[in-house]
Amino acid sequence: MQKKFEKIMMPLAAKLGNNVVLKSLRDGFLIITPLIIVTSIFLLIGNFPIPGWSEFWIKLCGPKFPEWFSAVSNSVFSFTGMLSAIAIAYAYGKNRGMNPIQAGMVSLISFLILTPTSITVGKEKISAVMTQFVGPNGIFLGIIIALLSVEIYRFAVKRHWTIKMPDGVPPAVSQSFDALIPSGLVVLFFFIVRIVFSLTSFQTAYNFIYTMLQAPLKNVGISLPSVLLYNFLASFFWFFGINGPSITNAVWQPIFFVATQDNLKAFQSHVAVPHTYTQPFIDIFTTYGGGGSTLALLIVVFTICKSKRIKELGKLAILPGIFGINEPVIFGLPVVLNPIIVVPFILCPVLNTLLSGLAMDLGLVAKTTGVLLPWTTPPIISGWLATGSWTGSALQLVELVLNILIYYPFVKMLDKQYLKDEQVADENDLDIDFSQV
Amino acid sequence: MKVIIILDQIQAGLGGKERADTPYGGKKIAMGIAENVEKLLIKNDSEIIGTFYCGTQYYQDHRTEVLNKFTKMAEKMQADVVIAGPTFDYPEFAQMSGEIAEYFRMNSDIPIVSAMAQEKNQDVIDRYKDDNLILKMPKKGGAGLADSLENLVVGCELLAGHADMTKFKADFCY
Repeated sequence: MQKKFEKIMMPLAAKLGNNVVLKSLRDGFLIITPLIIVTSIFLLIGNFPIPGWSEFWIKLCGPKFPEWFSAVSNSVFSFTGMLSAIAIAYAYGKNRGMNPIQAGMVSLISFLILTPTSITVGKEKISAVMTQFVGPNGIFLGIIIALLSVEIYRFAVKRHWTIKMPDGVPPAVSQSFDALIPSGLVVLFFFIVRIVFSLTSFQTAYNFIYTMLQAPLKNVGISLPSVLLYNFLASFFWFFGINGPSITNAVWQPIFFVATQDNLKAFQSHVAVPHTYTQPFIDIFTTYGGGGSTLALLIVVFTICKSKRIKELGKLAILPGIFGINEPVIFGLPVVLNPIIVVPFILCPVLNTLLSGLAMDLGLVAKTTGVLLPWTTPPIISGWLATGSWTGSALQLVELVLNILIYYPFVKMLDKQYLKDEQVADENDLDIDFSQV
Repeated sequence: MKVIIILDQIQAGLGGKERADTPYGGKKIAMGIAENVEKLLIKNDSEIIGTFYCGTQYYQDHRTEVLNKFTKMAEKMQADVVIAGPTFDYPEFAQMSGEIAEYFRMNSDIPIVSAMAQEKNQDVIDRYKDDNLILKMPKKGGAGLADSLENLVVGCELLAGHADMTKFKADFCY
């Protein structure tokens, strides 16, 4: 069974993991993620989840207090579509052997060509860009522009459609001339695209991509069945030693990214957050202590196990586990290729997804605000900070206890097996005494 | 067939990178990732008679002593074959594994095989692959772990039976 599965799934996993487009999406989002975390901290300080927080600081610092902090968070959250176009083109260009900065700049220009640059205020038309077009709703458009602009640019470069300068011209000058025709081709393409869309009822490429692609994909991608499948697969792959999230994220990450940005915008504007299933939901409410919710496993190991080596592992791995690092237990127990542990390893994240999803949809627990926390933030604290409510911490506590109960019989089974091995070995003394040689 | 497996602190289940100062030691059982190897060995009436472990930093600081102790103890325990790894794509452990394999080859009659991923370890592989058996395996989280562990066990059997390793090396090693 295991062999059969590996035969079918492994090539698919390898293909997904190595696909240059998916890899570039992942790498591109990784460029933006640290900026989101840093600016999230500013948003969090400006809106700390303590009653009366903002009022206190406004009294102390004046009415501009919220504006200081939102200026920082706006710098990223209002421009995620545009930032995606730059970062993904940078990563895609790099992976396709292009000058990455050139790729990023060409993509940015293409994005701006398709962006409406005038607003009607009253009867007057003024030159301005609405952040609606360059923010979260423009992320899918940004992705498509990044990929297309790099491909068109490469198309020209590969055919040597470049202006060759004579020898002796400084490299910087000759490189700038090299970029002329490929860049011109990209600009011409998006110029035509803009005209074509302006002749349709959609008016803009933004409207077309958002209505036809981003909104429907988002609705399907952040539904409960889809997120359950995500977490099932992420854990299932780990059993075979494969980093599950690195494969599942390739498919789901753009959707989670968009949903997270939607919530952030709403949170910043002090309106109800729209989505339950966001990146913080996945990171903070479905697994505790790393993939497979292994913090629960370690708590069981730490408290009830009798086998010496499991106990030792529990002692060494519980502290890193609290901060979400589960490498020692993945290889040390080991979790990989372990048919006993695989059951709770898959079951816990899936059940947590179901429970958290239902609790938030029913309004029992606050939804995530979209604030991205450093991945090492321990549970209980992370639940509170991510939702701005104590109900987030309470949900985490309940799920952690549930996970402990799920892991208990399986860890006990493993403990018994290891204990038996150790007793056999004990008769001949378990430790190897290196002082004898 | 009696097998000894040599691991770093992470693969032996003795903690993460922060425990690289773990001194060398050993237990007469399969520890950590060695569990996976032992399950395959048992099917062929073979066993792991000992897991030797050492933190990667401790190894670097006490290289001569560790190499000497591991070789002498493997001989004393009369192992048929020694496995240095699997190291996945951990470069410090791959370096240690490459050096251990080289030392065994030069100073002991016990055959040895190591297993490492190409990622982050290309230098080590290039340095030791001609004279030693370095099995191909995936990086941490990469596809094909089960297959590579099966190949590792096949390699051990061939080594213990003093078989010609040319084909095995061509098919599964660097």
